[in-house]
Amino acid sequence: MFEGPVQRLIDELARLPGVGRKTAQRLAFHLLTVEEADARRLSVAIADMREQVGQCRRCFNVAAGEECAICRDVKRDADVVCVVERPQDIVVVERTQEFRGLYHVLGGSLSPINGVGPDQLRMAELKNRVEGESIQELIVATNPTVEGDATAMYIAREFKPLGVRVSRLASGLPVGGDLDYADEITLGRALAGRMEL
Amino acid sequence: MPDRARGTKYACPVAIRHDQAIVLRSYPFGDADRVVVLVSPNNGKIRTVAKGVRKTKSRFGGRLEPFTHVDLVLYEGRNLDTITQVAIVEPFRRLRGNLDAVVGAGLMVEAVDAVAQEEESSLRLFLLLQRGLKALDAGYYSPDLITAFLLKLADVVGVAPALMECASCGRRDGLTRFSFAGGGVHCHNCQPEGGVRLRAGITAYLDSLAQAELMSLPTLDASLSGEAMGIARRFLEHHLDRKLFSLAAIE
Ligand SMILES: [Zn+2]
Ligand SMILES: [Zn+2]
Repeated sequence: MFEGPVQRLIDELARLPGVGRKTAQRLAFHLLTVEEADARRLSVAIADMREQVGQCRRCFNVAAGEECAICRDVKRDADVVCVVERPQDIVVVERTQEFRGLYHVLGGSLSPINGVGPDQLRMAELKNRVEGESIQELIVATNPTVEGDATAMYIAREFKPLGVRVSRLASGLPVGGDLDYADEITLGRALAGRMEL
Repeated sequence: MPDRARGTKYACPVAIRHDQAIVLRSYPFGDADRVVVLVSPNNGKIRTVAKGVRKTKSRFGGRLEPFTHVDLVLYEGRNLDTITQVAIVEPFRRLRGNLDAVVGAGLMVEAVDAVAQEEESSLRLFLLLQRGLKALDAGYYSPDLITAFLLKLADVVGVAPALMECASCGRRDGLTRFSFAGGGVHCHNCQPEGGVRLRAGITAYLDSLAQAELMSLPTLDASLSGEAMGIARRFLEHHLDRKLFSLAAIE
Protein backbone atom coordinates (compact mmCIF):
# COMPACT_ATOMS: atom_id res chain seq x y z
CA MET A 1 0.00 0.00 0.00
CA PHE A 2 2.78 2.43 0.99
CA GLU A 3 6.44 2.43 0.00
CA GLY A 4 7.98 -0.88 1.11
CA PRO A 5 9.95 0.34 4.17
CA VAL A 6 7.01 2.43 5.40
CA GLN A 7 4.59 -0.45 5.06
CA ARG A 8 7.03 -2.73 6.88
CA LEU A 9 7.16 -0.38 9.86
CA ILE A 10 3.38 -0.03 9.86
CA ASP A 11 3.04 -3.81 9.88
CA GLU A 12 5.49 -4.13 12.79
CA LEU A 13 3.83 -1.38 14.82
CA ALA A 14 0.39 -2.84 14.20
CA ARG A 15 1.52 -6.06 15.88
CA LEU A 16 2.03 -4.24 19.18
CA PRO A 17 -0.71 -4.65 21.80
CA GLY A 18 -3.26 -1.88 21.72
CA VAL A 19 -2.06 -0.50 18.38
CA GLY A 20 -4.51 -0.69 15.53
CA ARG A 21 -3.82 -0.11 11.83
CA LYS A 22 -4.75 3.55 12.00
CA THR A 23 -2.50 4.29 14.95
CA ALA A 24 0.34 2.34 13.35
CA GLN A 25 0.03 4.49 10.24
CA ARG A 26 0.00 7.69 12.28
CA LEU A 27 3.09 6.62 14.24
CA ALA A 28 4.98 5.60 11.12
CA PHE A 29 4.31 8.88 9.36
CA HIS A 30 5.19 10.76 12.51
CA LEU A 31 8.56 8.99 12.61
CA LEU A 32 9.04 9.90 8.98
CA THR A 33 8.67 13.63 9.72
CA VAL A 34 10.73 13.95 12.95
CA GLU A 35 14.50 14.54 13.01
CA GLU A 36 16.35 11.45 11.94
CA ALA A 37 18.26 11.40 15.24
CA ASP A 38 15.00 11.21 17.17
CA ALA A 39 13.78 8.25 15.16
CA ARG A 40 17.15 6.56 15.52
CA ARG A 41 17.08 7.00 19.32
CA LEU A 42 13.89 4.97 19.42
CA SER A 43 15.34 2.15 17.36
CA VAL A 44 18.51 2.11 19.49
CA ALA A 45 16.48 2.09 22.70
CA ILE A 46 14.58 -0.97 21.47
CA ALA A 47 17.75 -2.74 20.37
CA ASP A 48 19.57 -1.90 23.63
CA MET A 49 16.70 -3.10 25.76
CA ARG A 50 16.59 -6.42 23.98
CA GLU A 51 20.35 -6.78 24.14
CA GLN A 52 20.99 -5.71 27.72
CA VAL A 53 17.91 -6.74 29.62
CA GLY A 54 17.41 -10.31 30.64
CA GLN A 55 15.97 -12.17 33.59
CA CYS A 56 17.11 -11.80 37.16
CA ARG A 57 18.59 -15.19 38.03
CA ARG A 58 17.21 -14.92 41.55
CA CYS A 59 13.64 -13.63 41.20
CA PHE A 60 13.07 -13.66 37.39
CA ASN A 61 12.19 -10.00 37.29
CA VAL A 62 13.57 -8.12 34.28
CA ALA A 63 17.21 -7.27 34.96
CA ALA A 64 20.02 -5.40 33.25
CA GLY A 65 22.66 -7.75 34.56
CA GLU A 66 22.69 -10.96 36.56
CA GLU A 67 20.34 -9.69 39.25
CA CYS A 68 17.61 -7.08 39.18
CA ALA A 69 17.80 -3.75 41.01
CA ILE A 70 15.46 -4.98 43.74
CA CYS A 71 17.50 -8.11 44.50
CA ARG A 72 20.72 -6.03 44.50
CA ASP A 73 19.28 -3.52 46.99
CA VAL A 74 20.70 -4.56 50.40
CA LYS A 75 18.18 -2.39 52.24
CA ARG A 76 15.31 -4.65 51.14
CA ASP A 77 13.98 -7.20 53.59
CA ALA A 78 15.09 -10.60 52.34
CA ASP A 79 12.83 -12.41 54.83
CA VAL A 80 9.65 -11.61 52.92
CA VAL A 81 9.06 -12.57 49.31
CA CYS A 82 6.08 -11.43 47.29
CA VAL A 83 5.12 -14.04 44.69
CA VAL A 84 3.67 -12.60 41.48
CA GLU A 85 2.59 -13.98 38.11
CA ARG A 86 4.44 -11.58 35.81
CA PRO A 87 7.26 -9.01 36.03
CA GLN A 88 4.71 -6.25 35.32
CA ASP A 89 3.00 -7.12 38.59
CA ILE A 90 6.16 -6.11 40.49
CA VAL A 91 5.75 -2.58 39.18
CA VAL A 92 2.20 -2.49 40.48
CA VAL A 93 3.19 -3.64 43.98
CA GLU A 94 6.20 -1.31 44.03
CA ARG A 95 4.01 1.65 43.21
CA THR A 96 2.16 1.20 46.50
CA GLN A 97 5.45 1.83 48.38
CA GLU A 98 4.08 -0.48 51.06
CA PHE A 99 6.32 -3.43 50.40
CA ARG A 100 10.04 -3.59 51.23
CA GLY A 101 10.72 -7.26 50.63
CA LEU A 102 11.85 -9.19 47.56
CA TYR A 103 9.91 -10.81 44.75
CA HIS A 104 9.55 -14.06 42.87
CA VAL A 105 8.04 -14.16 39.38
CA LEU A 106 6.23 -17.43 38.66
CA GLY A 107 5.71 -16.82 34.97
CA GLY A 108 1.95 -17.40 35.06
CA SER A 109 -0.68 -19.16 37.14
CA LEU A 110 -1.85 -22.75 37.42
CA SER A 111 -4.24 -23.54 34.62
CA PRO A 112 -4.48 -27.26 33.96
CA ILE A 113 -6.95 -26.68 31.13
CA ASN A 114 -4.26 -24.69 29.31
CA GLY A 115 -1.58 -27.21 30.11
CA VAL A 116 0.02 -25.06 32.81
CA GLY A 117 0.91 -27.19 35.81
CA PRO A 118 3.41 -26.52 38.62
CA ASP A 119 6.25 -27.70 36.36
CA GLN A 120 5.50 -24.95 33.85
CA LEU A 121 5.82 -22.31 36.58
CA ARG A 122 8.93 -21.38 38.59
CA MET A 123 7.89 -23.42 41.61
CA ALA A 124 11.10 -25.45 41.78
CA GLU A 125 13.10 -22.21 41.70
CA LEU A 126 10.97 -20.84 44.53
CA LYS A 127 11.59 -24.00 46.52
CA ASN A 128 15.33 -23.58 46.02
CA ARG A 129 15.10 -20.04 47.30
CA VAL A 130 13.06 -21.02 50.35
CA GLU A 131 15.58 -23.71 51.18
CA GLY A 132 18.66 -21.63 50.44
CA GLU A 133 17.72 -18.11 51.56
CA SER A 134 16.42 -16.62 54.80
CA ILE A 135 12.79 -16.43 53.64
CA GLN A 136 10.25 -16.43 56.50
CA GLU A 137 7.11 -15.42 54.65
CA LEU A 138 5.67 -15.71 51.16
CA ILE A 139 3.00 -13.20 50.21
CA VAL A 140 1.12 -14.55 47.23
CA ALA A 141 -0.04 -11.72 44.97
CA THR A 142 -1.50 -13.71 42.08
CA ASN A 143 -4.61 -12.40 40.33
CA PRO A 144 -7.93 -12.81 42.14
CA THR A 145 -9.10 -15.34 39.55
CA VAL A 146 -9.78 -19.06 39.76
CA GLU A 147 -6.27 -19.70 38.38
CA GLY A 148 -4.64 -17.18 40.71
CA ASP A 149 -6.46 -18.64 43.69
CA ALA A 150 -5.51 -22.19 42.74
CA THR A 151 -1.89 -21.08 42.48
CA ALA A 152 -2.05 -19.52 45.94
CA MET A 153 -3.58 -22.67 47.42
CA TYR A 154 -0.92 -24.79 45.76
CA ILE A 155 1.85 -22.60 47.19
CA ALA A 156 0.32 -22.79 50.66
CA ARG A 157 0.12 -26.58 50.44
CA GLU A 158 3.66 -27.02 49.15
CA PHE A 159 5.52 -24.39 51.18
CA LYS A 160 3.89 -24.29 54.61
CA PRO A 161 5.43 -27.70 55.45
CA LEU A 162 8.85 -26.12 54.78
CA GLY A 163 8.27 -23.80 57.72
CA VAL A 164 7.47 -20.53 55.95
CA ARG A 165 4.37 -18.44 56.49
CA VAL A 166 2.21 -18.17 53.41
CA SER A 167 -0.27 -15.33 53.08
CA ARG A 168 -2.47 -14.07 50.27
CA LEU A 169 -3.26 -10.50 49.36
CA ALA A 170 -6.63 -9.66 50.85
CA SER A 171 -9.09 -9.36 48.01
CA GLY A 172 -11.74 -6.85 48.77
CA LEU A 173 -13.78 -4.03 47.42
CA PRO A 174 -12.40 -1.57 44.89
CA VAL A 175 -11.65 1.74 46.59
CA GLY A 176 -14.04 4.39 45.39
CA GLY A 177 -16.74 1.89 44.45
CA ASP A 178 -20.25 1.60 45.82
CA LEU A 179 -21.04 -1.35 48.05
CA ASP A 180 -24.27 -2.13 46.20
CA TYR A 181 -22.36 -2.58 42.93
CA ALA A 182 -20.12 -5.28 44.41
CA ASP A 183 -20.82 -8.78 43.19
CA GLU A 184 -21.41 -11.64 45.61
CA ILE A 185 -18.03 -13.25 45.05
CA THR A 186 -16.04 -10.06 45.62
CA LEU A 187 -18.15 -9.16 48.63
CA GLY A 188 -17.85 -12.68 50.05
CA ARG A 189 -14.08 -12.52 49.82
CA ALA A 190 -13.97 -9.06 51.32
CA LEU A 191 -15.94 -10.44 54.26
CA ALA A 192 -13.68 -13.45 54.64
CA GLY A 193 -10.61 -11.21 54.61
CA ARG A 194 -12.04 -8.53 56.91
CA MET A 195 -9.79 -6.67 59.33
CA GLU A 196 -10.38 -5.88 62.95
CA LEU A 197 -10.53 -2.15 63.66
CA MET B 1 -23.82 -19.06 7.13
CA PRO B 2 -25.18 -21.41 9.78
CA ASP B 3 -28.88 -21.26 10.44
CA ARG B 4 -29.10 -19.66 13.86
CA ALA B 5 -32.08 -20.84 15.80
CA ARG B 6 -32.90 -17.46 17.26
CA GLY B 7 -36.21 -16.29 15.93
CA THR B 8 -35.91 -12.64 16.82
CA LYS B 9 -32.49 -12.15 15.35
CA TYR B 10 -33.50 -10.71 12.03
CA ALA B 11 -36.93 -9.48 12.99
CA CYS B 12 -35.62 -6.91 15.43
CA PRO B 13 -32.53 -4.79 14.84
CA VAL B 14 -31.50 -4.71 18.50
CA ALA B 15 -31.89 -8.23 19.78
CA ILE B 16 -31.61 -8.68 23.50
CA ARG B 17 -32.05 -12.07 25.04
CA HIS B 18 -31.90 -13.76 28.40
CA ASP B 19 -29.98 -16.93 29.04
CA GLN B 20 -28.74 -18.98 31.94
CA ALA B 21 -25.37 -20.69 31.84
CA ILE B 22 -22.31 -21.95 33.66
CA VAL B 23 -18.98 -20.27 32.86
CA LEU B 24 -16.50 -22.74 31.39
CA ARG B 25 -13.52 -20.53 30.64
CA SER B 26 -12.54 -17.18 29.24
CA TYR B 27 -9.67 -15.67 27.35
CA PRO B 28 -8.38 -12.14 26.77
CA PHE B 29 -9.86 -10.30 23.83
CA GLY B 30 -8.51 -6.94 22.78
CA ASP B 31 -7.18 -4.67 25.51
CA ALA B 32 -9.66 -4.94 28.35
CA ASP B 33 -12.27 -7.45 27.19
CA ARG B 34 -12.61 -11.18 27.53
CA VAL B 35 -14.38 -13.78 25.49
CA VAL B 36 -16.36 -15.83 27.99
CA VAL B 37 -17.33 -19.36 27.00
CA LEU B 38 -20.35 -20.80 28.78
CA VAL B 39 -22.67 -23.76 28.54
CA SER B 40 -26.38 -23.02 28.54
CA PRO B 41 -29.18 -25.60 28.86
CA ASN B 42 -30.98 -24.06 25.88
CA ASN B 43 -28.25 -22.93 23.53
CA GLY B 44 -25.35 -25.26 24.24
CA LYS B 45 -21.93 -23.73 24.15
CA ILE B 46 -22.07 -19.96 23.85
CA ARG B 47 -19.22 -17.55 23.23
CA THR B 48 -19.79 -14.06 24.49
CA VAL B 49 -17.84 -10.86 24.94
CA ALA B 50 -17.58 -9.20 28.34
CA LYS B 51 -16.43 -5.64 27.74
CA GLY B 52 -13.99 -4.10 30.16
CA VAL B 53 -14.02 -7.15 32.42
CA ARG B 54 -10.24 -7.08 32.94
CA LYS B 55 -10.36 -3.66 34.52
CA THR B 56 -10.38 -3.74 38.32
CA LYS B 57 -13.45 -1.52 38.40
CA SER B 58 -15.42 -3.66 35.96
CA ARG B 59 -19.07 -3.87 36.91
CA PHE B 60 -18.95 -7.59 36.20
CA GLY B 61 -16.49 -8.16 39.05
CA GLY B 62 -16.02 -11.83 39.80
CA ARG B 63 -19.30 -12.89 38.28
CA LEU B 64 -17.78 -14.28 35.09
CA GLU B 65 -15.12 -16.46 36.70
CA PRO B 66 -15.15 -20.14 35.70
CA PHE B 67 -17.63 -22.44 37.47
CA THR B 68 -20.09 -19.64 38.18
CA HIS B 69 -23.73 -20.33 37.33
CA VAL B 70 -25.09 -17.05 36.02
CA ASP B 71 -28.14 -15.41 34.59
CA LEU B 72 -27.25 -13.32 31.55
CA VAL B 73 -28.67 -10.56 29.47
CA LEU B 74 -27.07 -10.67 26.04
CA TYR B 75 -27.03 -8.21 23.24
CA GLU B 76 -26.78 -10.13 20.00
CA GLY B 77 -23.88 -9.24 17.78
CA ARG B 78 -22.93 -10.37 14.30
CA ASN B 79 -20.26 -12.78 15.52
CA LEU B 80 -20.25 -12.76 19.28
CA ASP B 81 -22.98 -11.73 21.65
CA THR B 82 -22.11 -9.09 24.21
CA ILE B 83 -22.94 -9.54 27.87
CA THR B 84 -24.79 -6.52 29.19
CA GLN B 85 -25.90 -7.85 32.59
CA VAL B 86 -24.89 -10.72 34.82
CA ALA B 87 -26.46 -12.00 38.00
CA ILE B 88 -25.12 -14.94 39.96
CA VAL B 89 -27.44 -17.89 40.39
CA GLU B 90 -24.90 -20.03 42.26
CA PRO B 91 -21.26 -19.06 42.86
CA PHE B 92 -20.08 -22.47 44.15
CA ARG B 93 -18.01 -20.50 46.59
CA ARG B 94 -16.82 -23.35 48.82
CA LEU B 95 -15.28 -25.36 46.01
CA ARG B 96 -13.07 -22.40 45.13
CA GLY B 97 -11.38 -22.65 48.51
CA ASN B 98 -10.11 -26.20 47.98
CA LEU B 99 -7.33 -26.92 45.53
CA ASP B 100 -8.44 -30.49 44.78
CA ALA B 101 -12.00 -29.30 44.17
CA VAL B 102 -10.79 -26.53 41.87
CA VAL B 103 -8.72 -28.99 39.86
CA GLY B 104 -11.71 -31.35 39.72
CA ALA B 105 -14.01 -28.53 38.61
CA GLY B 106 -11.42 -27.52 36.02
CA LEU B 107 -11.51 -31.00 34.60
CA MET B 108 -15.31 -31.04 34.52
CA VAL B 109 -15.53 -27.78 32.60
CA GLU B 110 -12.77 -28.87 30.25
CA ALA B 111 -14.63 -32.08 29.43
CA VAL B 112 -17.93 -30.25 28.99
CA ASP B 113 -16.19 -27.68 26.80
CA ALA B 114 -14.88 -30.53 24.65
CA VAL B 115 -18.28 -32.10 24.02
CA ALA B 116 -20.70 -29.15 24.05
CA GLN B 117 -21.88 -27.96 20.66
CA GLU B 118 -22.80 -24.42 19.77
CA GLU B 119 -26.46 -23.65 19.16
CA GLU B 120 -27.70 -27.02 20.27
CA SER B 121 -29.73 -27.49 23.42
CA SER B 122 -27.76 -29.35 26.04
CA LEU B 123 -29.97 -29.68 29.05
CA ARG B 124 -28.54 -33.02 30.20
CA LEU B 125 -24.98 -31.79 29.83
CA PHE B 126 -25.76 -28.62 31.73
CA LEU B 127 -27.47 -30.52 34.54
CA LEU B 128 -24.58 -32.98 34.76
CA LEU B 129 -22.07 -30.16 35.12
CA GLN B 130 -24.28 -28.48 37.68
CA ARG B 131 -24.51 -31.69 39.72
CA GLY B 132 -20.76 -32.21 39.45
CA LEU B 133 -19.98 -28.71 40.70
CA LYS B 134 -22.56 -29.09 43.47
CA ALA B 135 -20.89 -32.28 44.63
CA LEU B 136 -17.49 -30.58 44.70
CA ASP B 137 -18.96 -27.58 46.46
CA ALA B 138 -20.45 -29.89 49.09
CA GLY B 139 -17.01 -31.38 49.73
CA TYR B 140 -17.41 -34.70 47.90
CA TYR B 141 -14.09 -34.48 46.13
CA SER B 142 -12.55 -37.85 45.22
CA PRO B 143 -10.95 -39.42 42.15
CA ASP B 144 -14.09 -41.57 41.89
CA LEU B 145 -16.23 -38.46 41.56
CA ILE B 146 -14.20 -37.51 38.48
CA THR B 147 -14.44 -41.03 37.08
CA ALA B 148 -18.20 -41.11 37.62
CA PHE B 149 -18.53 -37.68 36.01
CA LEU B 150 -16.58 -38.76 32.93
CA LEU B 151 -18.65 -41.95 32.54
CA LYS B 152 -21.89 -39.99 32.83
CA LEU B 153 -20.57 -37.46 30.34
CA ALA B 154 -19.82 -40.28 27.89
CA ASP B 155 -23.40 -41.45 28.36
CA VAL B 156 -24.84 -37.97 27.76
CA VAL B 157 -23.00 -37.66 24.46
CA GLY B 158 -24.00 -41.18 23.46
CA VAL B 159 -20.71 -43.03 23.73
CA ALA B 160 -21.14 -44.76 27.10
CA PRO B 161 -18.77 -47.73 27.25
CA ALA B 162 -20.12 -51.27 27.57
CA LEU B 163 -19.18 -52.35 31.09
CA MET B 164 -21.26 -55.36 32.07
CA GLU B 165 -21.63 -57.19 28.77
CA CYS B 166 -19.36 -57.79 25.80
CA ALA B 167 -19.59 -54.87 23.38
CA SER B 168 -19.48 -57.33 20.46
CA CYS B 169 -21.58 -60.35 21.42
CA GLY B 170 -23.38 -59.33 24.59
CA ARG B 171 -21.97 -62.12 26.76
CA ARG B 172 -21.96 -61.28 30.43
CA ASP B 173 -19.08 -63.47 31.58
CA GLY B 174 -15.44 -63.88 30.73
CA LEU B 175 -15.11 -60.13 30.22
CA THR B 176 -11.37 -59.78 30.35
CA ARG B 177 -10.44 -57.10 27.82
CA PHE B 178 -11.25 -53.46 27.40
CA SER B 179 -11.12 -51.79 24.01
CA PHE B 180 -11.19 -48.01 23.72
CA ALA B 181 -11.98 -48.11 20.02
CA GLY B 182 -14.31 -51.11 20.36
CA GLY B 183 -16.73 -49.45 22.78
CA GLY B 184 -15.86 -51.05 26.10
CA VAL B 185 -15.42 -54.54 27.56
CA HIS B 186 -15.12 -57.66 25.45
CA CYS B 187 -15.22 -61.32 26.25
CA HIS B 188 -12.19 -63.54 25.55
CA ASN B 189 -13.84 -64.89 22.41
CA CYS B 190 -14.24 -61.51 20.81
CA GLN B 191 -10.59 -60.41 21.17
CA PRO B 192 -10.84 -56.80 20.03
CA GLU B 193 -7.93 -55.10 18.37
CA GLY B 194 -5.85 -53.02 20.73
CA GLY B 195 -7.76 -54.27 23.75
CA VAL B 196 -6.11 -54.08 27.15
CA ARG B 197 -6.29 -56.76 29.81
CA LEU B 198 -8.31 -55.77 32.84
CA ARG B 199 -7.87 -56.55 36.48
CA ALA B 200 -10.67 -58.49 38.13
CA GLY B 201 -13.41 -56.26 39.49
CA ILE B 202 -12.53 -53.16 37.52
CA THR B 203 -15.52 -53.21 35.15
CA ALA B 204 -17.93 -53.82 38.01
CA TYR B 205 -16.30 -50.90 39.81
CA LEU B 206 -16.65 -48.64 36.75
CA ASP B 207 -20.24 -49.75 36.33
CA SER B 208 -21.07 -48.96 39.95
CA LEU B 209 -19.65 -45.46 39.46
CA ALA B 210 -21.54 -44.97 36.19
CA GLN B 211 -24.83 -45.88 37.91
CA ALA B 212 -24.39 -44.01 41.20
CA GLU B 213 -25.49 -40.52 42.12
CA LEU B 214 -22.53 -38.15 42.23
CA MET B 215 -23.24 -37.26 45.83
CA SER B 216 -23.66 -40.85 47.01
CA LEU B 217 -20.88 -42.80 45.34
CA PRO B 218 -19.98 -46.28 46.59
CA THR B 219 -17.08 -46.54 49.03
CA LEU B 220 -13.79 -45.80 47.33
CA ASP B 221 -11.55 -48.80 46.72
CA ALA B 222 -8.00 -47.47 46.67
CA SER B 223 -6.76 -50.53 44.78
CA LEU B 224 -9.11 -49.88 41.83
CA SER B 225 -9.77 -46.14 41.91
CA GLY B 226 -6.69 -44.97 40.01
CA GLU B 227 -6.98 -47.53 37.23
CA ALA B 228 -10.71 -46.85 36.90
CA MET B 229 -10.05 -43.15 36.36
CA GLY B 230 -7.37 -43.95 33.80
CA ILE B 231 -9.77 -46.11 31.80
CA ALA B 232 -12.59 -43.56 31.92
CA ARG B 233 -10.20 -40.85 30.83
CA ARG B 234 -8.64 -42.77 27.98
CA PHE B 235 -12.05 -43.90 26.80
CA LEU B 236 -13.38 -40.38 26.65
CA GLU B 237 -10.20 -39.02 25.09
CA HIS B 238 -10.40 -41.68 22.43
CA HIS B 239 -13.96 -40.76 21.54
CA LEU B 240 -13.37 -37.01 21.70
CA ASP B 241 -10.15 -37.39 19.78
CA ARG B 242 -8.39 -35.00 22.10
CA LYS B 243 -6.47 -35.02 25.36
CA LEU B 244 -7.94 -33.82 28.63
CA PHE B 245 -5.14 -31.75 30.11
CA SER B 246 -6.67 -31.18 33.51
CA LEU B 247 -6.72 -34.91 34.13
CA ALA B 248 -3.04 -35.17 33.40
CA ALA B 249 -2.56 -32.66 36.20
CA ILE B 250 -4.51 -34.81 38.68
CA GLU B 251 -2.87 -38.13 37.97
ZN1 LIG C 1 15.64 -10.05 41.20
ZN1 LIG D 1 -17.95 -61.25 22.98
